[in-house]
Amino acid sequence: MSLKRVPRLGIGGPVGSGKTMLIEQVVPILSSRDYKVGIVSNDVVSREDAERMRLNLARGKGLMPEDLVVGLATGGCPHTAIREDPSMNISVVEEMESLHGDLDLILIESGGDNITTTFSPALADYFIYIIDVAGGDKYPRKRGLGIESCDLLVINKIDIAPYVGTDLSVMERDAKVIRGKKPYVFVNCKNGQGTEKVAEHIIRDVLFEAPPKAVAKR
Amino acid sequence: MGINRVSLHDLSMLQLSDSFFPTGMYAMSNGLEALFYSNRKVMNPDGLCELIKVYLEHQIGPSDCSALGNCYESAEQKDLRSILEVDNTISSMKLIEELRNASTRSGIQILRCVNAFLPNNYILNRYHQAIKSKRASGVYPVAFAVVGNACGIPKYKTGLMMIYGFSVSLVGSALRLGILQHIEGQKIIHKLKPTMLETVMKNIDKPISSMWQFAPGIDILQISHERMSSKMFIT
Repeated sequence: MSLKRVPRLGIGGPVGSGKTMLIEQVVPILSSRDYKVGIVSNDVVSREDAERMRLNLARGKGLMPEDLVVGLATGGCPHTAIREDPSMNISVVEEMESLHGDLDLILIESGGDNITTTFSPALADYFIYIIDVAGGDKYPRKRGLGIESCDLLVINKIDIAPYVGTDLSVMERDAKVIRGKKPYVFVNCKNGQGTEKVAEHIIRDVLFEAPPKAVAKR
Repeated sequence: MGINRVSLHDLSMLQLSDSFFPTGMYAMSNGLEALFYSNRKVMNPDGLCELIKVYLEHQIGPSDCSALGNCYESAEQKDLRSILEVDNTISSMKLIEELRNASTRSGIQILRCVNAFLPNNYILNRYHQAIKSKRASGVYPVAFAVVGNACGIPKYKTGLMMIYGFSVSLVGSALRLGILQHIEGQKIIHKLKPTMLETVMKNIDKPISSMWQFAPGIDILQISHERMSSKMFIT
């Protein structure tokens, strides 16, 4: 990882798993600690996620300027856009870096929809893969590059587990088997449960506990 | 010219023309998506073929292809100043912001990629530096001319590669929009070969002062795409 560039965090996972909600939970936590964050949202067929985050995080909560939330279309190839040919994403990220020298972190959300999603190391320094319990407790056991290779596995919607017949202990057991010592976190992005832990992982493993640039300058 | 050198050119041509080469073109429909979702939603392969001809003959050929030809010659002469002049001119001719940004992003990334395996090419480095210092935009046809020259690919073939890549990108987006199926796509590419050749031969040697483009219907399509709220493609 180059020390010159702003650290980049990729967030991938199936449609509806809670990628956007995770960002909406984590960014306020990071902002409360003075970290300045930019977001690139790769949507499969719309700009809805980017519009929503712009509305909630930039316009609504005032956590970032609106131009720090950028939506990017992927031509129906969301996996290509973050792995085989991340050129458009890299361009957008670099434009963001050049316009905002005080950025601490750039989040790149990928609207992929299958379990083989991974990020090119040229694009993301750290990779969070998010799944939800509604897919059944077999999900981690089914493996896939995303679940196996991500730096942090996030399992969302734990509140509905009893209603969809999902046993969280099975998911935890399988996650440990499949991922070895690599971490996983159970969350409920609806009420924020567990998202503080995700933010802690980001601060420790992506930002290496460096102080926010704005604070370091003071 | 030895056989080894010819082979290297050929391989460089294959490398830069390969859809695996990272240019981001797969994410662009050049307004086709807007056409698909407009009232003219139903489009057949023949209609698509005619549409691509209009793009080539009235937009990409007389503008991008001429820009490429001029920049290739300037790269050959190591004349950065002329390259920057064409860069500024062709960039300002891209009327639609969405297209201009996409062209620039692709151009910068193709330069960076080639620079990674050809780190010592004088004009490539100078042009790359000019982009970093905001003296140039890095628009795609100019960047493509510079990397084609750096790879030792002859000018006419560099032009053909760009025109071919553009045509394939449009056919690919039509395929993903469900306008046609894969074999029809290849038939269109084959059918367009004479037009691609003619487009290059007609435009690549023209001076910068005679660059033009006039396809208002396509401009409007591309503006419509820029304003679509829900879309799969960047352009």
